Amino acid sequence: MDRDFDITRIREAARAAGMGEALSRRGFLLLSASTAAAVTALGLCEALGADAPLVILDNAKGMILADPTRCVGCQRCELACVEYNEGRSQPSLARIKISRSLNFGPGGPGGAQGAWGNGLVVQGVCRQCPHPVPCATACPNDAIRLDPATGARVVDGQACVGCKLCQRSCPWNMLVFDEETQKTTKCFLCGGSPKCVEACPADALRYVPWRDTTREAPARAASLSLITPEKTASCLECHVPGRPGTVTK
Amino acid sequence: MASATGGFAGKVLRVDLSTGAVSTESTVERYLDVLGGTGIGYRVLWDEVPAGTGAFDPANKIVFATGVLAGTGVPCNGRTAVTTIFPTCWPKPLVGSGHMGGQFAAKLKYAGYDALIVEGKADRPVWISIRNSQVQIRDARGLWGEGIRRATLEISREMGGECAVAAIGQAGEKLAPMAIVANSVSHSAGGVGGVMGSKNLKAVAVQGDGAVRLAGDKGEWERLVKFHLSILGGNNQHVVPSFPTPQSEYYNPGSRWVGEPGRRWGAAEPPVEITGNIRDLNRIAYRTNSAAFYLGANAWQYTVRGNGCTGCPIRCHTIVKVPSVAAKYGVGEMGQNTCAGLLFGRGFFRKLAAGDKSHTSLEACMLGMHLADDLGLWCNYGQLQRDLIKLYYDGTLKAKLGAKEYDSIPWDKYESGDPAFLLDMIPRIANRQGELGAVLSQGTAGLFTAWSITERDWSQDKETAYWKMGHPKHHANEDDGQCGVIINTQYNRDAQCHSHVNFVRNGLPLAVQKRLAAETWGSPEAVDAVGDYTPANVYKARRAKWALIRKELHDSLGLCNWMGPWVASPLKERDYGGDDSLESKFFSLATGLKTNREELDRMGERIFVLHRALTQRDMGEPDLRSRHDTVPDWVFKDANGAAPFSKGTTRMDREDIAKAMDLFYEVMDWDRATGAPTMEAYARLGLQDVGRRMQALKLTPGTRG
Repeated sequence: MDRDFDITRIREAARAAGMGEALSRRGFLLLSASTAAAVTALGLCEALGADAPLVILDNAKGMILADPTRCVGCQRCELACVEYNEGRSQPSLARIKISRSLNFGPGGPGGAQGAWGNGLVVQGVCRQCPHPVPCATACPNDAIRLDPATGARVVDGQACVGCKLCQRSCPWNMLVFDEETQKTTKCFLCGGSPKCVEACPADALRYVPWRDTTREAPARAASLSLITPEKTASCLECHVPGRPGTVTK
Repeated sequence: MASATGGFAGKVLRVDLSTGAVSTESTVERYLDVLGGTGIGYRVLWDEVPAGTGAFDPANKIVFATGVLAGTGVPCNGRTAVTTIFPTCWPKPLVGSGHMGGQFAAKLKYAGYDALIVEGKADRPVWISIRNSQVQIRDARGLWGEGIRRATLEISREMGGECAVAAIGQAGEKLAPMAIVANSVSHSAGGVGGVMGSKNLKAVAVQGDGAVRLAGDKGEWERLVKFHLSILGGNNQHVVPSFPTPQSEYYNPGSRWVGEPGRRWGAAEPPVEITGNIRDLNRIAYRTNSAAFYLGANAWQYTVRGNGCTGCPIRCHTIVKVPSVAAKYGVGEMGQNTCAGLLFGRGFFRKLAAGDKSHTSLEACMLGMHLADDLGLWCNYGQLQRDLIKLYYDGTLKAKLGAKEYDSIPWDKYESGDPAFLLDMIPRIANRQGELGAVLSQGTAGLFTAWSITERDWSQDKETAYWKMGHPKHHANEDDGQCGVIINTQYNRDAQCHSHVNFVRNGLPLAVQKRLAAETWGSPEAVDAVGDYTPANVYKARRAKWALIRKELHDSLGLCNWMGPWVASPLKERDYGGDDSLESKFFSLATGLKTNREELDRMGERIFVLHRALTQRDMGEPDLRSRHDTVPDWVFKDANGAAPFSKGTTRMDREDIAKAMDLFYEVMDWDRATGAPTMEAYARLGLQDVGRRMQALKLTPGTRG
């Protein structure tokens, strides 16, 4: 799908991010976190049209940090996540992941962690990935969007069609599919006051300013990113082939 | 009332191992009046298991049942009651329950079941696989002979690592009455492993992904959960810390709230230091360290973390890592357990049993846990260990065992307190090897039947802590005077009741306890200082009734009676009061069935009286007072000859205990002469059908020939 991409919006974003000079001098923009923020703040994506592929999400403002050496495996975080949000008790739906590491660690039966191993429970938490956000990019219906309050990547239940492609795209298996609603859900930071953090009886969870932790832990699973041609085309609108990390027009 | 919209998973699963039939029934339609847990267990035995059925007969049934609050975020849930005709009960097996925590209860609920009834007997070793609505009877021939650890691993490979596996070890397979079923490493239910073995049932594995619905408003639920958290103390609801701190008006060295700032989980990598305010709700998990409480401050350095049941912030199953155990004895360096399970190894040695806190003692405990929780051997609340000590030191073993067998046991290691002795002794008993293994694996009952030792030999000796019917005391007069005695007369195994002791041992000063007692049971005289007892009165009888009812309620709601009830709190701003109606508030919110403390207590009483009727029916005994509700002689003695009611003794007075029982039967609405529930009591509790049956059997008061 061809789309008319208005460079003036990029220029505005660059100026807002204090990079206007760089842009005018070099004719392209280094796509930094701050420019991405500005792009979002200016509503660039929306300005591109209602059916525009959603590619760029602002960085999150906060994230949940988990300390495995403190985790006592009680699952109170999982229960708080679902009980206080959905009003039912269902750890399988939790957007923080304890159950899967509880017995043997992420390696499964025979693994060296968990209650049957060395006792360590490595919590699974959403990293609120920076651009390109795997789950949001994978969504064919642009249902994973930015919560303006926290910058959390949140599933818009109205828009989610239940295809589970986002689930397959997450390297850390952090999205969950609610069989009851037939929608996916993921960590939305509870609007800035995460229930899991509040519920931890061992002070193992903290809500801290966001930073990129996506390169610090190995992926749990090979991810499958099926990205629509429209979206891949829109990548090329900013990133020049042969010149990685650039935005141009 | 049958319109529960939450709390219950909805179905009771029934698996007939003789026919392979799998069926379900509606929990609410069939069992609402007995709630769940032990309530369902007693009801199934009452309706379906005829009097006289042996524990290992295929006609016996084993009921794994949890309750409406299991699997939710209510603090201190996660309990499964395992009810069956109990094999260690002497002189004949009667109804009893083992109780386990861990992940099993929650998983069963998430799979859609409030309970699992297993009946019949498989023609070969099997395990039951429950994955949500898919239930299969699987071949366990390849697992037979394996310990609990390997059985769990193998089954987890098939089911996935998230499942909960409740398995028996070699002891259960060999039909040892002293066998456990265990899940989640260290969470075991005693006495029921052999019943599983008799059915050729190696394990039950559950994976559930579904929800427990909450009928009430989620905001209200969240507020109530947070309130409950705010009134929690440490383990056993000890509401003051064991150490002085400006953050608490009171402290008590006997408290299990041992997590003093500055202590460290020394074996965490890196170690975790306890910091901050001890009242912080985000630090509740640091309050309890069972290893440090039982094995001394030295255990802090070996502590990895606290562990425990689903949803419980207390974490009483402390995980410890002791590399020297691996090096010296060739077993795993990791161990975890609480209370009697933690002390399994140490308890065998006279030298170490009395609270020894040396490194050797720690190693003995590590070795004991490692062996017992894999072989699946039960301790009968330490009775096994106390029995061995008595039998060895009074020469019985030498007299009873053949010389070859006796000499094959490393008694030199035993006498010197060498933990390596356990490498011989625990497998010997669990595998039922030789005369010693065959007898001790039956529990104390084995001594009475095989070695013509009389029950009197045991019940006169305080050192045995033996109470009656093959089982020991469990928080009796040593903790709670007449209340403890009354409670210990009521069950067919050791009384698994903690309602009373969690209050009297909560660490608050007596004056505060008396004020709370007046509010809860009508008079400050309902409670005495431990070891400074006053004569029986009706308020103590009421408190005993309350304790027993709450015990059954907790066991039927999936709550932990090792933590509840919550009548006291650490909160000065509440005058240290808790909330005695918490269970009913949670029940109402979870199920959507409005109830209150009195109504829910009546349901608890119904369950307790059903246990009473079942006991009486199977004994065929009109006079429970003299034939069942007995008190061992040692209760009426004092080593130094101190008189009852003198300060410093836990000695009771016979006449006073008789009066205490009179008062108890009165508050229960039971016949004073026989201790049998009256027809009025049955009717008041909605147990008319039970009453009519008991009347027909001439087991109600006044119906005797």
